[in-house]
Amino acid sequence: MARIGIKNLVKEFGSFTAVKGINLEINDGEFLIMVGPSGCGKTTTLNMISGLVMPSSGEISIGENDVTHTEPGERGLGMVFQDLALFPHMSVFENIAFGLRVKNTSEQEVKDRVQQAAEAMHIEQLLSKRPGQCSGGEAQRVALARTIVTNPSVYLMDEPLSSLDAKLRIDMRTELKGLHERLSGTFVYVTHDQAEAMTMADRIVVMNGGEIEQLGGPLDIYRKPATRFVAGFFGMPTMNFLDGEIAAVDGAPMFVTDGIKAPLEGDLPANLSGRKATLGVRSEHVLATEAENGGKVSLIEPLGDATLVYFDYGGPTRLVSKVDPDRLFAPGDDLTFAFDANNCHLFDADNGARLN
Amino acid sequence: MSNAHSKTQAATPAGQKDRRRDHMPLVRHAILIGWALIIMFPIFWMLQTSFKDSGEWVTWPPNWLPQDPTLKNYQQIFTFDVSGSGVAREATDQPFSIWGSLRDSLIICTLSSLIALFMGTFLAYSISRFNVGGKKFRHMVLLVRMIPPIVIAIPLLMYYAVLIPFATEAVFGARISLFDTRIGMSILYLTVTLPFVIWMMLSFVDEVPYTLEHAARIMGAGRMYTLRKVVLPLVASGMVVTFLFVFILNWAEFLLALTLTHPDVSTLPVLLNKFQSASEGRLYGPQAAIGTVITIPVVILGIAIQKHLVKGFSFGMLRR
Amino acid sequence: MADVTLKAAAEPAVTKGALSRFGAWLSQERVFRWIPFVLVEGTFILVIIIPFLLTIYISFLRWRANRPFEQAQLSGFRNYEQVLTDAGFWASLGRTFYFAGTAVIFELVIGFFLAMLVHRVVRGRRIYITLFLIPMMVVPVVAGYNFSMIYLDSGPLNQLLSPFTNMLGINPRIRWLSDPTAAQLAIIIADIWQWTSLTFLIFLSGFSSLPPQLINAARVLGANKRQIFFWIELPLLKPAIVIAVVIRSMEALKLFDPVVLLTFGGPGTSTQTIAYYLWEQVWQFNKYSFGAAASILLLILFSVLIFVGIWLLIRQRNQFEQQQETAT
Repeated sequence: MARIGIKNLVKEFGSFTAVKGINLEINDGEFLIMVGPSGCGKTTTLNMISGLVMPSSGEISIGENDVTHTEPGERGLGMVFQDLALFPHMSVFENIAFGLRVKNTSEQEVKDRVQQAAEAMHIEQLLSKRPGQCSGGEAQRVALARTIVTNPSVYLMDEPLSSLDAKLRIDMRTELKGLHERLSGTFVYVTHDQAEAMTMADRIVVMNGGEIEQLGGPLDIYRKPATRFVAGFFGMPTMNFLDGEIAAVDGAPMFVTDGIKAPLEGDLPANLSGRKATLGVRSEHVLATEAENGGKVSLIEPLGDATLVYFDYGGPTRLVSKVDPDRLFAPGDDLTFAFDANNCHLFDADNGARLN
Repeated sequence: MSNAHSKTQAATPAGQKDRRRDHMPLVRHAILIGWALIIMFPIFWMLQTSFKDSGEWVTWPPNWLPQDPTLKNYQQIFTFDVSGSGVAREATDQPFSIWGSLRDSLIICTLSSLIALFMGTFLAYSISRFNVGGKKFRHMVLLVRMIPPIVIAIPLLMYYAVLIPFATEAVFGARISLFDTRIGMSILYLTVTLPFVIWMMLSFVDEVPYTLEHAARIMGAGRMYTLRKVVLPLVASGMVVTFLFVFILNWAEFLLALTLTHPDVSTLPVLLNKFQSASEGRLYGPQAAIGTVITIPVVILGIAIQKHLVKGFSFGMLRR
Repeated sequence: MADVTLKAAAEPAVTKGALSRFGAWLSQERVFRWIPFVLVEGTFILVIIIPFLLTIYISFLRWRANRPFEQAQLSGFRNYEQVLTDAGFWASLGRTFYFAGTAVIFELVIGFFLAMLVHRVVRGRRIYITLFLIPMMVVPVVAGYNFSMIYLDSGPLNQLLSPFTNMLGINPRIRWLSDPTAAQLAIIIADIWQWTSLTFLIFLSGFSSLPPQLINAARVLGANKRQIFFWIELPLLKPAIVIAVVIRSMEALKLFDPVVLLTFGGPGTSTQTIAYYLWEQVWQFNKYSFGAAASILLLILFSVLIFVGIWLLIRQRNQFEQQQETAT
């Protein structure tokens, strides 16, 4: 019912093209997260779905209806804004009731539904306060209550958690996910925080430079990033990247650079031999074991459940390996390392597209 | 949620607290009190003169306080009876009730400030949200304000006194002049204060986050409903401040009123000036009383909007 | 409202009158947003532009107010020639710049100094600010009147000076406004009294927007008060200084009210500013076409100043806003 279809959507601001013709199908009841660095076009796309920004060309449909030229208020959406956009001059009650009052709902129904929404968000005690008197987390709940009170079929969220402090943000993630399950609406959520995207999304859209880099489930994106950009965007610490070329040593494919030789496994396309490429390896797949590649430890970052070991290997960059916290390293130590051959990502050196 | 407002104001006192205690606070206070005395002296002199009877106005050496305080000056200017029989005064027994001028000033200032406020506020909204008129329009508006009033007064004299009567006679067959009329003055004041209204209101409207309007529109509110329920309540205090600011400007305006009204309409500053040149000798006491009556209300209003004065005078260039 | 009218606009308008169709067209959003613009622009055109066009026309006529306007004859550039060769015009223009320049310099210096002192005051700050702002709220005509009382030969100024004048053996009842130099000074002082408030306010606003963490950082790095002032505070105050200079200069060049109230341009012509001079030419001597030509010439002259002023203001405004952003 609340499928969202986006076809060839383009938005130009003067000579700047913010969104360069994207196509996207969002399923009914899905929690879809659009993620990317600032200026990637994710917020513009969301605003075009909401109707606050008119697309330069392309079509948007919600359910069966083409809504490309419909007023925002007639699209049946709810939206939570980055700054929450609570009306500072109205009480929390009036804030929540706003969407109902606009539609001339009877006074009794307004009361009932505001009460329900407030109960759902556990903010009954705030109803008579002003938004300015609420804490960050409370304001967040008020904004959500204001959105759910009109029962929209689509919920749009523009970085709603960015105003909260770190701890609260993580708690809110769980709560939002629970809310999504209760409401069974379609959620379209924009964020620049990859961890937020990973934890909440059914599917993730990674955007960069006004285009979609990859669309897929969180684990797909983590395990098989489609481009070098996606690979670098997801995961903490950032994936290790090495520039080099692919050679065939004794018939087996091998990645070679600055004294490092890394055997490659899995199904590789033919004719890669001699090609320039970028190798990406996540820190947990850099194994500090007995191997022929050597390096010198320069920095240790204990995380508690693991330890990050940064080391120089003789090339222009520094590599990081995630090791068991029981293994003790100190800066200056020598170590040997190997890459987990099954978890090496190869990207084209020129356009960053995935090779394996 | 009001952080758009509080953020700009919260920064002020923070800087002072951690300032080290200076070793010269006494000298500083002495200088500041000295300046305060200099500033207050002319006002004090007017106040005390307004309570002096005619014999005390000009004496050598002058008295710093009235020997025999009287309210005669105030009685005289507030007399309704223009024939002058109310309070008998020997040499100064002539009509100079301020009621006529007070009425003219109030009507002209209120009318022009109100209309300027509404036109300017809606234009400020249009500029802020839709960038109506382009980027240069904001600055072109400033130009109108910076033209010296005498340069405007000469064309307007000819326009009001010559062209409009000429044109109305040709079209309607009756000479209608805007010269020396309240409506003519109101239109003029409205025009010359519009730039202030636009710039001040721009700075208030710009402070209302546009996401509030987006939120309202997503919830199904139309443009007008959003304006009425969301934007206007949030800029209402700004509108009051702007109105008062413009009202004070108009209240004090002298050159245009002097040049474009005579003899029917006269604003309070023009009235005060009339006594300055009175050939029978100046009426210092009633003048002081008029001065006090003109000044006290605007000083009180001015202090009330003190925080926003800099915004008005600097065309919103400075916020605090 | 927008929804409703949009629907109304979409309905077939055949049966409706032209008026309601016009109404529907007006309330469309793309039209609606231009209404205030058109209103304001219209006002400017009606009240400023058309009178100026008329004035340009009149400036080419040979016309005095006591003759009928319809009978006036074209006279080419004669009026402009007259204005440009008129000694009074140039003298009063020069005097205006002299008055404005002197007054503004004093206002800037005193205002800056006061703002600096008040900024450092902890207790009683508000009282000082309130007191110091009062002069600019006083109606200029009233201020002029007040000073005319103070400058009276039997006024308080002479009384205060009498110990000195007695010592020097001068008649203590000096007639301040009858001496050309003293009268000029009197007008400048009245202007300084009234408008130092404004420069003080602008500088105070500048001082209070100085980011305290920057000054703390400099102090931690070992800078002394002098270094902090000259290397950090002063450069950061530049926008406020430029704004004060531009706004006050533009206003000071309009100087008129105290001249009328204090001296009527006298003694002689020693205190005639350009505004006063033209007022006299047009309103006392009825030289309309002369005034028209002078008005156009002044507008041209001032346009240059105004454009420079606005350009400076906009530049400083942008810089100031960036500064405030980094401060918060």
